[in-house]
Amino acid sequence: VRCQFSPPQRALQASAVLRRVSDEHKEPLASSPQQQFDSHPTDHQPEQEPQGPRPSYTGQGGQESEDYESEEQLQHRILTAALEFVPEHGWTAEAIAEGAKTLGLSVAAAGMFHSDGSELILHFVSQCNTKLSELLEQEQKQVQLGEAEKKPTDQFLRDAVEARLRMLIPYIEKWPQALSILLLPHNIPSSLNLLTSMIDDIWHYAGDQSTDFNWYTCRAVLTGIYNTTELVMMQDSSPDFEETWRFLENRVADAMNMGNTANQVQSTGEAVVQGLMGAAVTVSNAETSRTVR
Amino acid sequence: VPTGGASLRPCSTRVTLEGVNRPVIDRIIRVDHAGEYGANRIYAGQMAVLGRSSVGPLIQQMWDQEKDHLKKFNELMVAYRVRPTVLLPFWNVAGFVLGAGSALLGKKGAMACTVAVEESISDHYNSQIRTLMEEDPEKYKELLQIIKQFRDDEREHHDIGLEHDAEAAPAYSVLKTAIQLGCKAAIFLSERI
Repeated sequence: VRCQFSPPQRALQASAVLRRVSDEHKEPLASSPQQQFDSHPTDHQPEQEPQGPRPSYTGQGGQESEDYESEEQLQHRILTAALEFVPEHGWTAEAIAEGAKTLGLSVAAAGMFHSDGSELILHFVSQCNTKLSELLEQEQKQVQLGEAEKKPTDQFLRDAVEARLRMLIPYIEKWPQALSILLLPHNIPSSLNLLTSMIDDIWHYAGDQSTDFNWYTCRAVLTGIYNTTELVMMQDSSPDFEETWRFLENRVADAMNMGNTANQVQSTGEAVVQGLMGAAVTVSNAETSRTVR
Repeated sequence: VPTGGASLRPCSTRVTLEGVNRPVIDRIIRVDHAGEYGANRIYAGQMAVLGRSSVGPLIQQMWDQEKDHLKKFNELMVAYRVRPTVLLPFWNVAGFVLGAGSALLGKKGAMACTVAVEESISDHYNSQIRTLMEEDPEKYKELLQIIKQFRDDEREHHDIGLEHDAEAAPAYSVLKTAIQLGCKAAIFLSERI
């Protein structure tokens, strides 16, 4: 999902410039990028690079081009490099600029992205989700090969959520900022998409096979658990976030109990209905036998 | 929320999801699942009223086939990781009410309802078959086979309904049109939400 505020045209020109810069980069960056950047309106190459698939934060990869990478891949590389500078600069254009510098690109590369750091955060979240999927896939393979025991559901959910939240630890200082940015209206579709697909992944690997309304309740419950645990983690100062994991354990246990209670309510309800039906049949039989006599 | 792992099994039922046209397959499986679920409830409603009449065994037989269809779509839904429609609880009630309501009009009423619904469903399956054939008959071979089989079963139900005097039902054409309109709306909604 391309951010809606930076006109694609400008971004395309900027990245074309960067391509030339990185191709010609043999000498220090000091003078040439500035000149090229200033003169780019007239100097701009007529051929545009092929429009790769729009950078999508739902984990779909870019295409491998023959000798040069697609714009999406370049952006991914810059954002990945920028993550290293987040603890210091926050989720900002400065971090992206620093990241671009480590790749040997001009700091003007940050101009490719929206200034509030949205793409950086979405990229990070997408990366974490991919890592989580790979982790869960690995565990599943181990269980299938008999190398590991299959975990009970509550344990599985606890471990999956913990693994995912632990990925935030290096960035925990700046994460509250990220959360608030993810809640901005123009980011909500993408961030919601990422959240729902992550939760769906976790349930899928947990072995959920529901095909009725439970599909929705399961996911809603787990989303609630994940979000509240994430918020607790922001304020947790205990060693290795023990308080957070204990909170998580309690919430998962609550959810399991809720499921049990729902089942109990349902079976009690069914028993009551059957009792009433039986009573009604008995009474009507008594009536008919009385009238017959 | 599944409790104690009773309804959970290791996810080994998987098809390769790469190269599959997700949006198209998503819709197809979601709406077909909703359709079979609804059909199940319609027959359940009809049985509730006409279960002990002469057409009881016939309706039971058609119901059992629909149960098999639903079971198949449950499997496909998990295999392709498709989400069910949010409207399932609604189709639960609406289907039962339609079945029971049409059965209260008599045996012919129930048959008329069956004819209307099965005709809608077969047309719908036919257009899905066309879509899949246009996409890639090889890639979706298994799915195509299943849908073709189910289309034939629904066609059979339709013919059984006609054989049992559906057309003699009270206000047959009005009933049929109304029910088919409802089916079209249900299909439209279930594909999307």
